[in-house]
Amino acid sequence: MSPLLDVRDLRVEFATRHGTVTALDGVSLRLEPGETLGVVGESGCGKSITALAIMGLIPMPPGRIAGGSIRLDGEELIGAPERRLRQLRGRDIGMIFQEPMTSLNPVFRVGDQIAEAILLHQDVSRDEARRRALDLLRTVGVPDPGQRIDAYPHELSGGLRQRVMIAIAISCQPRLLIADEPTTALDVTVQAQIFDLIRDIQDRLGVAVILITHDMGAIAEMADRVAVMYAGRVVEEGPADAILDSPAHPYTRGLIGCIPAIDPALAALDRLPPLAEIPGVVPPLHLLGQGCAFADRCIEAVDICRKVAPPLTGRGHAVACHLHAAAAASEES
Amino acid sequence: MSELSRSAPERAASPAAEAWRMFRRNRPAMLGTAIFLSMLGVVIYGSLFGGDPFEIVWAPQTPPGEDGFVFGTDYLGRSLATGLLVGGAPTMAVGAAAAVLSIFIGVTIGALAGYYGGWVDNLLMRITEFFQVLPALLFAMVLVTLFSPSLVTISTAIGVVMWPQTARLTRAEFLKIRELEYVTAARAIGAGNGRIMWRVILPNALPPLIVSATLTVGVAILFEAGLSFLGLGDPNTMSWGMMIGANREYILDAWWPVTFPGLAIFLTVFSVSLIGDGLNDAFNPKLRER
Repeated sequence: MSPLLDVRDLRVEFATRHGTVTALDGVSLRLEPGETLGVVGESGCGKSITALAIMGLIPMPPGRIAGGSIRLDGEELIGAPERRLRQLRGRDIGMIFQEPMTSLNPVFRVGDQIAEAILLHQDVSRDEARRRALDLLRTVGVPDPGQRIDAYPHELSGGLRQRVMIAIAISCQPRLLIADEPTTALDVTVQAQIFDLIRDIQDRLGVAVILITHDMGAIAEMADRVAVMYAGRVVEEGPADAILDSPAHPYTRGLIGCIPAIDPALAALDRLPPLAEIPGVVPPLHLLGQGCAFADRCIEAVDICRKVAPPLTGRGHAVACHLHAAAAASEES
Repeated sequence: MSELSRSAPERAASPAAEAWRMFRRNRPAMLGTAIFLSMLGVVIYGSLFGGDPFEIVWAPQTPPGEDGFVFGTDYLGRSLATGLLVGGAPTMAVGAAAAVLSIFIGVTIGALAGYYGGWVDNLLMRITEFFQVLPALLFAMVLVTLFSPSLVTISTAIGVVMWPQTARLTRAEFLKIRELEYVTAARAIGAGNGRIMWRVILPNALPPLIVSATLTVGVAILFEAGLSFLGLGDPNTMSWGMMIGANREYILDAWWPVTFPGLAIFLTVFSVSLIGDGLNDAFNPKLRER
């Protein structure tokens, strides 16, 4: 089966006050139809830039695609004319944003905003678009859709707004849905509902999902495969189970260590293990040196880590780490 | 589950309806609206049934209230009542037309500059600054004297000198709004530049623009009066400004031929300002819930 989305060696640069920085440095991702790919990493590691690059929405300038390719169903998107990209956006690729509070236009009724998305891509009447908007509101589980279709965004809760955003994103039955931290701004209980909804939609429409998040719990729940990103690179990539069970990159291990494990028995004895944390923060991109970007925060780092950036190696479950490569080599010999 | 159990609201009020609700509760603004509508009524009535304001009907400089002339007569013996009735129409029409023109130019230029940024912004803003540094009244005078004064040329001249302010305001709003997430979201559903500018950003930029447009009408009326006062109005059309200008030399002998038209201009501009302030408050969400 040919992949639905094939991102290869994508490089994105931004002109900043500190000179040109590389926001994405050779990112490769593959996504089969109907599959869910989780993209994890801390803030500033390039997750959202990857999403925007796939949508063709990197602001240029200051951004620039310095190399690589993005193929949707075999069609090259980098360098494709804006007209073509406009057709694909919304119709073949839907996107959900992080902040449901600000991603809906405040001056229009939500029903009109959904209808707008339909009218942009399909040759239907206004009435028909409104009827479909109503159906979509029902699909995404908005209660009382007949009333809510005429509501303004500020009259809806965060969860309902995110449902409306999802309705807009799936209004033209896209093949790919990009969800950029869709639950970060929501209450925990609502987060679970939104994830359920996304999974439900995925089952019904067979849409492939790129789920961008920094929440390993969400990955465990949703993703088939995972790409862990750090400072503009994919540092570990593979099936979700494999990565969650045996994370190979120290950064991935750190991320997983940050999930609080709630064991009722231990909690009752007040002996929960302390939460792990990764010391330090993602380095500013303009300060990235030669070696592995994670070396300064890595407790296991050795000399070579500070000198040479490790390549992403391995089939199936790929890792970019010298230590892992060394361990794998010694195992084989 | 709280979001599911909440009862559905009534059909929601549109932002415009909400603003109107706020506006109605604002007394100065409603007073301004009342004054403006009465002035407008008088002016419309006057331009239909006012008679000939240039006709000499009685002895010159008859004081107000004498011989049946409520506002008296001017230095030539023309009825001031007729002049006031008829002279409002060109003032208001020119004010409105000039405001519409300046808003059209200003919004277009400001929107393009703010949306596209870069060299487009640079070029358009330099042009805007060029117009901004010209002394407005002087520039309008030059334009009017170059092309013989008529309602059209006067409106155009005033419109052309007033647009830079609107352009700057529009640009600022566009610069601010284009960074917001719902603009990215609109792009993500495949909206093009034109749609994003006029259907996504502009509606969100409207409140300050409407306020500014209202105040622009007031300023345009003052401009028209100023040009007429200087004798650069259309000589065949009676206007409030022209009445003041024609009678200014005799102000020490007769106060009324300059005072009444002046009051008319003052009331009109004042009422427009009250409306503008009221709109400003009505569109300010921070004042909504009081």
